[in-house]
Amino acid sequence: MRPSPRSGGGPYGAPPRRPWLPLVLFILGLLLLVFHESGYLAPLEYVTHYALDPLQRILAGATDLTGDLFPTVREARELRAEVEELRVEVDALKVENVRLREYEAESEQLRALLNFVSEYPVSTYLGADVVDREEACDTFPCGTVVGLEPNYYLRYVTINVGARQGVEVGMPVVSGGAALVGRVAQVGPRTAKVRLLTDADSSVAGLLQTARVTGLVNGQPGEPDDTLRMEWIPQDERVVVGDIVLTSGLGGLMPKGLVIGQVMDVVQMDYELYQAATVRPAVDYTRLELVLVITTFERISFEEEEPPPEEP
Amino acid sequence: MTLPLLTGVALIQTTLLSRVKLWGARPDLMLLVVLVWAVVRGLDEGLVWGFIGGLLIDLFSGGPLAATVLALLTATLLVGQPWGLGIGSRVVRLLLLSFIGIVAYHLVLLIVLGWTGHMVHWGFAWLRVAGPSTLLNVALAPFVLQPLILLERTTRQA
Repeated sequence: MRPSPRSGGGPYGAPPRRPWLPLVLFILGLLLLVFHESGYLAPLEYVTHYALDPLQRILAGATDLTGDLFPTVREARELRAEVEELRVEVDALKVENVRLREYEAESEQLRALLNFVSEYPVSTYLGADVVDREEACDTFPCGTVVGLEPNYYLRYVTINVGARQGVEVGMPVVSGGAALVGRVAQVGPRTAKVRLLTDADSSVAGLLQTARVTGLVNGQPGEPDDTLRMEWIPQDERVVVGDIVLTSGLGGLMPKGLVIGQVMDVVQMDYELYQAATVRPAVDYTRLELVLVITTFERISFEEEEPPPEEP
Repeated sequence: MTLPLLTGVALIQTTLLSRVKLWGARPDLMLLVVLVWAVVRGLDEGLVWGFIGGLLIDLFSGGPLAATVLALLTATLLVGQPWGLGIGSRVVRLLLLSFIGIVAYHLVLLIVLGWTGHMVHWGFAWLRVAGPSTLLNVALAPFVLQPLILLERTTRQA
């Protein structure tokens, strides 16, 4: 780090040639921040994305190609163990599936007997685990993750579908198996930024599948793994480790029945009114590649029914 | 040269390096390049690189525009001061300056995120994110030094 003569700035340790530069750049930075927060820079950012998105796509493609060349021994070992676990789980699920089919048939018969019509069917359109990629892309905009969040404290991914494909801010994004990934936060012409469930600002209304209790699922980013925290669960409800957390659909921002994750740990304090649960996300965000954006879904309506007109 | 180089660094950061985790922390190439450039080339150029590099990272990020700009400018301003001159060997000096710069970077980043309404858990952020990241990136700084010294010599001759 010896001093070196050059035409640019001063050498390390020497007084800067442009003492006003730090002040100017800081003021410029603050102005950018203020204008961004006010929304004035949105058109400019939109145009910049136009130029940068193709570069990011190309590099993401190259990264995917080279990234597979360096699997670590640890990963291979982990994957082998995971495969074994999954095999056992698949066997158990097959048995459970047969049992559930029986229940379904029985339920249909009973519904027919009761003349019951479900206003909000559990699976209206979700079939991401059974439709193939092309079919899915015909129905919903189908995005590939091209960029990950460079900011340490935020959790976003960039996907390669945007306003041109009909993507709008707020749309839910899912991966295979109807697992909720997050929601679209920003839309560019050909890309969109998705705020992941694990972002600290993410909040989704959740439902415990077995206990049928609702709560609020918030992001809990951290190293090495991000988790979720389900809060506002009434103290008297029994929360079981391993229970599946689904979207409740409350609030109308998210379809009902998407998989959020699985309860890892229950945090219960006797003196508090509510308990909380740590939830492991259903999606492995480090291996996220293909996602679906849900453009339309059946919202739970909270509007009160209009009273019948009074007869004269 | 600055813009293509920093665009390349930003692209590598958002595609390749965001997937890499070493001992629970992520390497931050843009931060290292800017800080080391301020050490090699001086405060003025370091600040310009910090501004452009931060802006590029912010464009790829879902966070507030200029958050990384302000964080990088602060870190560069601290690293580019002459107080490092009397300290030990070149590598020791670099390690110490990087440490100060990276801590300042995380501090400003968290403050700006807090200002702009993002949820910031201070204890958690320092223990689980900033701490490991600072240690990793300080350890990586000497590896960025040599290529940038080469670049500095090449550009100086040109």
